[in-house]
Amino acid sequence: MVSRPPEDSQLVERARSGDEDAYEELVRAHQGIAFRTAYVIAGNAADAEEAAQEGFVKAYRALGRFRAGSPFRPWLLRIVANEARNRRRSAGRRAALSLRAAGEESSGGAAPSPEGAVLAGEDRERLLEAVNGLREEERLVIACRFFLELSEEETAAALDVRLGTVKSRTSRALEHLREAYD
Amino acid sequence: MTELETALRQLGGEIDYPPTPDLASAIRGRLERPTRLWRRPAAVALAIVVVAAIAAAFAVPQSRSAILDWLGLRNVSVVRVEKLPVVPATGRLDLGRQVTLDEARRRAPWLRLPEGDPDSVWLNESLPGGKVSLVWGTPSRVRLLLTEVTGRAYIEKVVAGDTQAESVDIGDAGAWFQGPHVVMFRDRDGRFHDSQARLARNTLVWQLGDVTLRLEGGLSKAEALRIARTAS
Repeated sequence: MVSRPPEDSQLVERARSGDEDAYEELVRAHQGIAFRTAYVIAGNAADAEEAAQEGFVKAYRALGRFRAGSPFRPWLLRIVANEARNRRRSAGRRAALSLRAAGEESSGGAAPSPEGAVLAGEDRERLLEAVNGLREEERLVIACRFFLELSEEETAAALDVRLGTVKSRTSRALEHLREAYD
Repeated sequence: MTELETALRQLGGEIDYPPTPDLASAIRGRLERPTRLWRRPAAVALAIVVVAAIAAAFAVPQSRSAILDWLGLRNVSVVRVEKLPVVPATGRLDLGRQVTLDEARRRAPWLRLPEGDPDSVWLNESLPGGKVSLVWGTPSRVRLLLTEVTGRAYIEKVVAGDTQAESVDIGDAGAWFQGPHVVMFRDRDGRFHDSQARLARNTLVWQLGDVTLRLEGGLSKAEALRIARTAS
């Protein structure tokens, strides 16, 4: 984990006392993960953008209720994900997650996998298809834990479920994936 | 970690996410606003009243009603002020919900369409009569925005000294606004219905029967008029 200068906690403190520049810095630091989390839940870019934007505005207004010293990211993701769910409910079918075309650069700046290419192109498509075919709650837990690489705590916050539920849902989803994929 | 988990993590790096929009800039200017929705427009309205009053004290030559008469646009009002109120440059485009062109046509049969299909179509029914927005580009990066309102909805523009406004020959009446100005949508009772005030770029506004159209983008007057003349 790379620490950001200055730390979230300092920025949150400054933002709480009305420093909008500090909050803008927080937004810049977290807008990528917030937007992608919203995208995974809402299923389309327009709703995700609206949800992330609205989430950041609401989080700013709610900073007074933020418990000092606790991590900012899960707290923020809970608010953004909630906005995304509200939009997801009112919209039609979501688009399934898809893979970038071969050779394209990652937009999220994700580091290349240290494990190297575990999966050939075809297998990747098939695995993603299996994930897209999971029940919604299992698809989301896989997307949060493995695609967005959220911690179990962050996943619990984003999906608005208990930590134990994240654990059990993850192992159930992995089982289903093994069945579908093997 | 099992092989499957490793494979999933690797897959995660290759998901085709849309590019993250510049949220930090998008929410600038929205942070001070109070939580309750109805207070937002009130705050904007107050800001404009205050600025307008200051402007009046400086004896701005054109009065509001004079500008209105000159424009001949029924659903547009223009307030000239000394200095524009501070509003976000991008603002939040409150476009409403995305619909297909067919649905927009069904719900807003009065809709006028220019040449060339838009990239997305948006419907906002919180304004009386409805408001349809045709977007070329993406909602976060709009190249061209055509907004159409009818009935009791109307567009309010706040212009300052360095905004040029001139009457142009298009439809039943038209006006070209060159330079930054503030735009809002509201009903005839003066209530703001959607969207915060935001800073607009060069804009063409014109009237076709009961429909008021508003075209905004980085366009010259000639380009805007050319596009506008294709709308029927």
